[in-house]
Amino acid sequence: MQPQMPVGSLAVAVAAVREDGASRMHAPEGYPARCGSERREVEGIRGGARGVAVGSKGSPWALRFTTLTVVLIPVAVGINYVGKLFAAALKLPLWLDSIGTVLAGMLAGPWVGAISGAVNNAIFGITADPISFWYLITSIAIGLVVGYLAFTGWISSFGRAVVLGLIVGAVAAVVSTPINVILWEGQTGNVWGDALYTALVGSGWPIWLASFLDEVVVDIPDKLATVIVSFLIFKALPERLVGLFGGARGEVASL
Amino acid sequence: MSLYAPGDTWVHRLDPITKLLMAGVGIVLTFLLPSLQGGAALLAVLLLVLGTAGVLHRAVPVYVGVAVIGVTFVVVQGLVNPANVHPLARLGPVVLYREGLLVGLRLALRLYDILSATLILVLVTNPSDLVESLVRRGASPRFGYVMMAVLQIIPTMVASTATITDAQRSRGMETEGRLWVRLRAFVPLMGPLVTGSLIATEERALALEVRGFAGNRRPTFLKEERMPGYAAAVRLLSLAVLLLGVAGRWLLGW
Repeated sequence: MQPQMPVGSLAVAVAAVREDGASRMHAPEGYPARCGSERREVEGIRGGARGVAVGSKGSPWALRFTTLTVVLIPVAVGINYVGKLFAAALKLPLWLDSIGTVLAGMLAGPWVGAISGAVNNAIFGITADPISFWYLITSIAIGLVVGYLAFTGWISSFGRAVVLGLIVGAVAAVVSTPINVILWEGQTGNVWGDALYTALVGSGWPIWLASFLDEVVVDIPDKLATVIVSFLIFKALPERLVGLFGGARGEVASL
Repeated sequence: MSLYAPGDTWVHRLDPITKLLMAGVGIVLTFLLPSLQGGAALLAVLLLVLGTAGVLHRAVPVYVGVAVIGVTFVVVQGLVNPANVHPLARLGPVVLYREGLLVGLRLALRLYDILSATLILVLVTNPSDLVESLVRRGASPRFGYVMMAVLQIIPTMVASTATITDAQRSRGMETEGRLWVRLRAFVPLMGPLVTGSLIATEERALALEVRGFAGNRRPTFLKEERMPGYAAAVRLLSLAVLLLGVAGRWLLGW
């Protein structure tokens, strides 16, 4: 039992209240065997929202909407924001602003990942950065792809995580390109990418292809680093936390 | 974290939904009027609204922030737009063309139109009022919680970044130097922050559960929504401006 959790009696009370026919579900594989009372506490929290069962590792598309996953979404957005801050503070040539979205996908599946991405861009769109609103679809795509692939075994090893990073970068570029073409004739506003765009269009390449490559130059390194960092953090998380969200651990011992 | 600043002008007093409509009309018109004249006229109207709301001085930093992107548009399109025919200026081997410059200007105008339309909402609307208005009109209360929680969580997390940075530095982590050194510092900074905030989610979920968060009853609201008398007139006016834009596109080819 982790010491920093003043739950105990409170959670047992919650669990007890929920005994009366709120839906129960199996702890997913990978939920570590612990003492019975703690299991009951956590089931009490998880059985909360609308009695939607936590998907066991059956389908990656199982809805995991419990109070816990709803609370995970704003935290994911916060992690995105802080990742961007740290990247700027360390003067890294990357944005690293979607670590939270990627982690939400790894922890709770494609739907929660997608919603985290959407909320992220919607919030920054109405508070600080109006242009980010237009790239909402890109964030949704990142959450979906990571969530699905994480739950189908693509974060079981470092090598696979690298491949996942490349896939995410490619998907982000594919989704962003039409947005760039519609909004800005295919430019991205990023200096390096736009320099390439200028060279390509200048030598007669079609706009959409130059725009795609413009986006690739910017996105692949960034998303690769984002997924690798997220993977390292995910692997280092306490087993208990990952189990809470029904996370996608590749090599877990079943109960 | 938010660009909103309280105030007491006719725009501030409008309800969030009306301001959402105004911003929406502005964005629709941006794409409806692709010409230079259309974009400039729209920008003038949007700036007038921002001016009467007394927030122009707060919009300036945002405008300056994206100026680089606007300049990039003009330069890049001036150099390589496929429609380029007439050279306008020569700088050694570099030739800027008239057609491309006009395309670039239109793109820069589009950027500023989108920004200004969004700022009508962003600068004068408290984000939590907007979310509350949406929940009032049938959005899910869970969605409301998520949006509001983001605005509260971010300052807390930002505050903890300083603590984590100091702690890791005192243990000898390098945060300056070659790129590889700085890249390596990223994980030890993010790791504790992620773990800490995930542990906190569990407590937060418990606290919410105890207060009936998972129930399906519609919540009631603490605050009354204030709708000024002229809100309906502003909504009609926004729609009239939209029609005016359609007419301008149709009759003048803007």
